[in-house]
Amino acid sequence: MDIQDEIHDQLSRRTFLGQSSAGLGTIALASLLNPKNLFAGASAPGEMPELGKPHFAPKVKRVIYLFQSGAPSQLELFDYKPKLESMWGKDLPESVRKGQRLTGMTAGQSHFPLAASRYKFAQYGPSRMWISELLPYTSRIVNDLTFIRSMHTEAINHDPAVTFFQTGSQQAGRPSFGSWISYGLGSDNQNLPAFVVLLSKGRDGDQPLYAKLWSNGFLPSVHQGVVFRSGPDPVYYLNNPPGIDKASRRRMLDYLAKMHQEQYKHVLDPEINNRMAQYEMAYRMQTSVPETLDISKEPDYIFDMYGPESRKPGTFAANCLLARKLIEKDVKFVQLYHQGWDQHGNLPNDIKIQTKSVDQPSAALILDLKQRGLLDDTLVIWGGEFGRTNYSQGKLTKDNYGRDHHPRCFSIWMAGAGIKKGMVYGETDEFGYNIAKDPVHVHDFQATVLHLLGMDHEKLTFKHQGRRYRLTDVHGKVVKPLLA
Amino acid sequence: MNQFTLLLQATTSPSDWVLFFGHFHPLIVHLPIGFLLVAGILEAGRRLGKVSVSDSAITNVLFWSAVSATVACLFGYLLSLGGGYEQETLDSHMWQGIGVAVFAWIAWAVKSDYVGDRIPFGSALYLPALVVAIVLLGTAGHLGGSLTHGSDYLTQYTPEPFRTLAGIPPRTQEVAIKPITDVNQALVYEQIVNPILKTRCVQCHNAEKSKGDLRFDTAEMLKKGGENGPVFVAGKGTDSELVKRCLLPEEDDHHMPPKGKTQLTEGQIALLTWWIDQGAPFDKKVSELNVNDAIKPVLASLGTGAPAGGAGLAASGPAPVSPVLTMKLPTPDPKAVDELKQTGLLVLPLSKEQNQLEVSAVNAKAFNDAQAAVLPKLSNQIVWLKLGETAITDAALAQIAKLKNLQKLHLEQTKVTDAGLKQLKALPNLEYLNLYGTSITDAGLKELAGLKSLKTVYLWQTNVTEPALAELKKALPDVEFVGGISEQAVAEFTKAGAANAQPDEDKKN
Repeated sequence: MDIQDEIHDQLSRRTFLGQSSAGLGTIALASLLNPKNLFAGASAPGEMPELGKPHFAPKVKRVIYLFQSGAPSQLELFDYKPKLESMWGKDLPESVRKGQRLTGMTAGQSHFPLAASRYKFAQYGPSRMWISELLPYTSRIVNDLTFIRSMHTEAINHDPAVTFFQTGSQQAGRPSFGSWISYGLGSDNQNLPAFVVLLSKGRDGDQPLYAKLWSNGFLPSVHQGVVFRSGPDPVYYLNNPPGIDKASRRRMLDYLAKMHQEQYKHVLDPEINNRMAQYEMAYRMQTSVPETLDISKEPDYIFDMYGPESRKPGTFAANCLLARKLIEKDVKFVQLYHQGWDQHGNLPNDIKIQTKSVDQPSAALILDLKQRGLLDDTLVIWGGEFGRTNYSQGKLTKDNYGRDHHPRCFSIWMAGAGIKKGMVYGETDEFGYNIAKDPVHVHDFQATVLHLLGMDHEKLTFKHQGRRYRLTDVHGKVVKPLLA
Repeated sequence: MNQFTLLLQATTSPSDWVLFFGHFHPLIVHLPIGFLLVAGILEAGRRLGKVSVSDSAITNVLFWSAVSATVACLFGYLLSLGGGYEQETLDSHMWQGIGVAVFAWIAWAVKSDYVGDRIPFGSALYLPALVVAIVLLGTAGHLGGSLTHGSDYLTQYTPEPFRTLAGIPPRTQEVAIKPITDVNQALVYEQIVNPILKTRCVQCHNAEKSKGDLRFDTAEMLKKGGENGPVFVAGKGTDSELVKRCLLPEEDDHHMPPKGKTQLTEGQIALLTWWIDQGAPFDKKVSELNVNDAIKPVLASLGTGAPAGGAGLAASGPAPVSPVLTMKLPTPDPKAVDELKQTGLLVLPLSKEQNQLEVSAVNAKAFNDAQAAVLPKLSNQIVWLKLGETAITDAALAQIAKLKNLQKLHLEQTKVTDAGLKQLKALPNLEYLNLYGTSITDAGLKELAGLKSLKTVYLWQTNVTEPALAELKKALPDVEFVGGISEQAVAEFTKAGAANAQPDEDKKN
């Protein structure tokens, strides 16, 4: 809701209803002035303010975004390029590169030796999709997956690229994907945040992640992503400190709410209501969070399915399991970040370690959602912020090489509701350097996900500093061929 | 494309310049209206002594009235060259318009210092000229309005008793179109096609104003077509001019309705195409035509009652949407919604514009059979119902069976049994049924054979056996039965992963 609207709402309600002594006439007048109030119903104090609804009936009710931070190499995982084998070690032809921008890390190289994947590819499923041997588990679920091999982005370095994917702008400060969805759709479970973030690390020294990636930006602060940690204390400062019991916490919150209401009457700042809503949410979360994240009753074979690391809190596998638990409770947007894909050197060895901890839990999550009937209205997204170059960064040997950042083409996959299953969309050229067919820009991808959630990306706007903002800025087209 | 470019060139159409200026007529024409009325008001005010205004001021206003009226006449003539107006009305409009200009000039001339003094009896002519100009202004303006909007536009909505007093016939045409109650029984032309044409096309294609010599106000005229020939070819929807024009880019000169006017929705175009594809019959009902899966949801949105038939027809394009998601439903009773909320259920509209509801027990684990009695109060609106992990048993299913528009039903991890499933037969629109973690057996599974719309059933962790499932799959080839992973299957799953792995695995440093 627009802040101006909210103030106007509050004003008309207070003036006409709260302090009215003239009876029905004023109620009629108030509802004439602002008809939506008549049936709005009294919301309990501190309850989340009335939020948006989808523009049209949604195919997708919830999203799990398995963000692979650091940019996984599409050439080792999804985009099979036999041409690179025959051209191994030769220079990337200028007719392919066309002088396009490189990062400072390889721009100074005198040669750009083409590097083929050290790992073999094979075809799977009825659609004969090429998948790398690094992903034995993913290759078993290709029938449920939809690949986009023609993603492209505008940024060439990690921070602007992740920020672009998550907020629609390379500069920091805009609301993130999950915040827009929380703002646009509201919550389907009043006891949990609509937007939850789970973090995991591949190894030390990875590209860092910042809280701005799950920030609400200029949207009301109730829409910001809440980070859940694995382990006994999932949300910082959620539990009562020693000496405070539930009843006294309740009393404290009640008095605090009274003070807030008093203050609100004077300054009419909607953020006061947001803050009250968040205190109440936190209070409810004291019960709902431990309940939701309790994995002690999960049978052993479920842990086995997600892989051995799923028993170790804070790993990608453990977070995949938690993501399922959150989705079961109708959390709208669960954002996982997994670090460790930035393989500029020693790529063949590093990517193997990385895929080992990511492949099995990703596939297990899809299977687990499916058997519980959740994949019917949940969308799972797997992908990084850009791709990697087809030439080696640094020295190319038979066994070892590195790859630099490559924004001009990369692959992601999606699984779940509303999209065609077992399909590959888009193509890159035979060098895997440029897109040959059906490019999908980051804004197109965002528009498509919003469309699946029942929202028109051009109508999901928020007015801030005199202009209306969108997740997709002034761009983005829904990729209709992907829709089921 | 080529065909109709040729056709357009064959007819002698005026040059772009002519029509460019012509289209300014509706704009310019308002200037003399304003100026002349101001002149009249000032003159009246001055004579009654209410306004103090000099003669020269009025003269000046009159001068501009005359100039703008003349320009309006000129542009009006250019516009008329474009054709498509009823000749008789056009002629009267033109002569009256010219009359306005002429009398405005006369009024100015006799009033002005230069000319007025040289005309004998000039001052006697002034008042009659001004009055005539203003009267003609009224009649010409009215005729102009009739030409653009149709002659009954102004009085179309005259309420009683003024209607009878003014001698306007009752609104026959409006009454003639019966609202659609059951889509299957709706007359395709009368109740579906004609209303679309009436709201979007007839404004410019009628008896008075027939752009392109084309009229859509009666069935006969529609069959006859316009200057470019027939507008539809029975059986060939997308090849018909009527549909082609709507599908052209809006910037295209041949696009209809013209840019700026309210456009047809995708659904309306789909309906027109479907009607022509079906041979463009003028007297058939929906049930007598082939209803394919693609048009089904569009038809359903027209009224209550899902369109039947045509289930076996192959649909092209995206997968069909369940008719319950597009049909119009009455607003839910707010009292019933409150009652549901009091049991701890969440009641969420599917979208801003729909009355369809999703009801979820995500935070109401204690929801029980007694409380389920509230559900049928919203039997029209509830399309998605999530009662997984609640305390309900078979008794609640008797209530759920009354939710006739239910499309998705979650019963996972509840105590429902085979006996309860029998009741679900009454749900004709059910597509999604989640039974995982229940004690359903083969016997209960057989009961599902009666669910005609069923698409997916979830059976993980139930007592259903493979042979029984295989048998039902034969009976219901279109239904997907989703099982799940058992302990043995997990062992196999993880083994397969290891087998696929590289021999030189973990050679890390």
